[in-house]
Amino acid sequence: MSVSYGTAAVEQHGSFASRTMPARPARRFLHRGLLRTGSLLVFIAVFTAFSLASPLFLTFANIVTVIGQSAVVGILAFGLTSVIIGGGADVVRGGIDLSLASNLGLGSAVYASLVQAGYGDAAAIAATLAVGLSVGTVNAISIVSIGILPLLATVAVMNICGGLELVLTQNTAISVSTPLLDLLSGTDRFGIPFLAYVIVAVAAILIVTLQYTAYGLRLYAVGEHREAARAAGLPVQAYVVSSYLISGLCGGIAAILYTALLSGSTTGSGEMLLPVVATALLGNVFSGRLLPTIGGTLLSTLLIGFLANGFQLLHVSSYWVSGIQGLLILSVVAATSLVRRRRS
Amino acid sequence: MTAQVIAPATQVPPALSLQALYKDFGGTRALDGASLEVAKGSIHGLVGQNGAGKSTLIKILAGLHRPDGGAIAVDGAFQDHLTPHRAENLGIHFIHQERLLVPSFSVGEALFVGQESLAGSTRLLNRRKLQAKATSILRERFDLALPADALIGDLTVAQQQIVQVTRALLANPSILVFDEPTAALVKREVDVLLETIRRLRQQGLTIVYISHYLSEIEAICDRVTVLRNGKDVATVDPQATSASEIAALMIARDVTELFPKQAVQSAEPILQISGLGRPPAFADVSFTVRRGEIVGLTGLLGSGAKELLRSLFGLEKPSQGSIEIDGAARSIGTPRAAMENGIAFVPEDRRGQRIAAELSVRENISLASLRLFSRFNLVQRKRERAHCDRLIERLGIRTAGGEAPVKSLSGGNQQKVALAKWLSRQSRLYILDEPTIGVDIGAKADIYRLLGELAAGGAGILILSTDLIELTGICDRVLVMFRGRLIGDFSTATASGDAIFDAATGAAERGIAEPAAAELGAGELQHVG
Repeated sequence: MSVSYGTAAVEQHGSFASRTMPARPARRFLHRGLLRTGSLLVFIAVFTAFSLASPLFLTFANIVTVIGQSAVVGILAFGLTSVIIGGGADVVRGGIDLSLASNLGLGSAVYASLVQAGYGDAAAIAATLAVGLSVGTVNAISIVSIGILPLLATVAVMNICGGLELVLTQNTAISVSTPLLDLLSGTDRFGIPFLAYVIVAVAAILIVTLQYTAYGLRLYAVGEHREAARAAGLPVQAYVVSSYLISGLCGGIAAILYTALLSGSTTGSGEMLLPVVATALLGNVFSGRLLPTIGGTLLSTLLIGFLANGFQLLHVSSYWVSGIQGLLILSVVAATSLVRRRRS
Repeated sequence: MTAQVIAPATQVPPALSLQALYKDFGGTRALDGASLEVAKGSIHGLVGQNGAGKSTLIKILAGLHRPDGGAIAVDGAFQDHLTPHRAENLGIHFIHQERLLVPSFSVGEALFVGQESLAGSTRLLNRRKLQAKATSILRERFDLALPADALIGDLTVAQQQIVQVTRALLANPSILVFDEPTAALVKREVDVLLETIRRLRQQGLTIVYISHYLSEIEAICDRVTVLRNGKDVATVDPQATSASEIAALMIARDVTELFPKQAVQSAEPILQISGLGRPPAFADVSFTVRRGEIVGLTGLLGSGAKELLRSLFGLEKPSQGSIEIDGAARSIGTPRAAMENGIAFVPEDRRGQRIAAELSVRENISLASLRLFSRFNLVQRKRERAHCDRLIERLGIRTAGGEAPVKSLSGGNQQKVALAKWLSRQSRLYILDEPTIGVDIGAKADIYRLLGELAAGGAGILILSTDLIELTGICDRVLVMFRGRLIGDFSTATASGDAIFDAATGAAERGIAEPAAAELGAGELQHVG
């Protein structure tokens, strides 16, 4: 912007290209809408195709089973979603929590070890949730107080959790059975798995918290534009910390469900990390503004769950399933970035 | 938090009183005893070059920086520990140049985030209610109707600015600080904003108004304080003081000195192009740049001027015509070929992206021309340093030294470093694309002086610019492009700025100044603010 000297002539045409406003194309609205509609259509298409192909697919029992089976990955992905909301969607510098899967592994090991040592469900639950929150706290301290990139900080914490899990379990599976675990891994009298109730309840609580409160709105502001949030007088660091605590807590809750599902703790929980990341990223396309939302993540969790389930029912090799999942995620994320690039 | 009353009860204390503020940033003194007194209910202008200390002063007022010395009083009460929160509680609010709004938020969300209770206190957030409230406030206050589902990112810059003003007003401020609010607005929008600010004054608000545009200062301010080198050099009444006097106070130098133009003897041509074209961008362009000559090139967006410039440096390949350098026909297909032919190109760089902020001034300057001070591929530090120190002095770069990181410099000085980097190469022909965009008067003067020296040393210079004052000030000739054709070749000794403007907008030929002016600089904005 050039300096004008204030004479009439300057005002008339000094720096004559400087003051114009860009024409914002209305097309942009369209792209956003198309992508969202498109994603929903994919969801419906997958659903319809499997319903036609397999008589077992569109049955009440099958659907509630898939929902229940999606609980562990889904709740981890909710945690990741809240961190992405508060830290921004930039994959490298933005919010990310790669420690979630090993947080779950450690929590599950703690749960199983405590039960094995004679403690009851109440103590084990408290300890597992405490482990989850502690992991979240360590993440938050490394990122907010020390200023390490979330990507690096949470990878380090992931390794710490993985190591602690090995120390605790000596790399063996621990089988346990308690009244609570049995209840969680079972179904109610309508045949609905209890895990399905849990994921719906956790999703509902998080949707209300993040989408329908001032806290949620502020968390989005912090993640989407930190300077704007600061200018709005928000304590941005506190909000970032809170998002990692939510994530840690989700890790703890998922750990309990995981223990119930497997009747104990086993190694190899780390393999869940990439599906969780993919699920959370995929969730963006279900939001009208291409933002991370809990609702969107729930939909993408279910989409991936139904996809795997449908292929199983059709006896397609599981090798194909992960390939097709990958392709789907790649294309959807590519579409999102294209629309986002157009926006900037 | 001590609050001590200083003014006698009978007299209204100033709304804002900053007294002898000092602030150092790692060796650079940003504020050197600057004072500012703003009367209640007035609009007070604040002007100064980039680096004069305006932004530091404002950041101190916002509680973002702590001054090293001095005192701040708001409504007569001393504030010895100002934090952003405290400033807000005192009713001081800021409208920043960069529109600090979340682009993916709806207008309602952007307006109320952080102050959600103002939209009606309910435990849960009702987005529809936020939006309805926002819509009604904008209509009431600014007669502005926005599409209901528009996100901030969909709005024009001016609409965003109004959302930002509205946001500040919601908090019931007593002092509003505008930090270059019009930087990206068109004239009509500026008028609306200035009218809004006058209305706010009527409502009793105190306003601090920072702008590069002295005409705006003249239009609305009751008083204006001029900052220079971290000091307040004068506070004057803009109605009684001419804009050029204010500009002179800002740079401590007569404005006419800004353009040290030397007449050029007709010398041998360096660059001769004939019939050059790359349809549809431009066609049939012929002109000559001579040794020691500064030639301006201008045109609207889409005139082909930019593409022509890029063709001369091998960034685009012309499909017609010929280029002669020093009388010999050359084919310039790549930037490398251009450089081998002694052509230097300074690309447009409004925001200093081509600067490595963490590296030192010296490293930035010599980055593009290390070969000049290398022997056997090893850099000779001593020669490199001497060269950089010379450029720092020639361009008047204000820095603690060649080893200071570039990020410690003010914006204008960073720009000079970027320029120095490209000017390090000894070339026959310098091609510059908007070299002074985003640069303040003082830095401009330094850049113009350097260009004059280069020309005096026998180089030819071709400048693409949309700043007519600059073109008529420093160029010997100005070439005007319109819709892909070279339609004018004006000698600045005889032609007026108006004639050049008319040619560039097509008014001279077709009498269509209006629509042409409207398409002006549609590409400009993406670089501004």
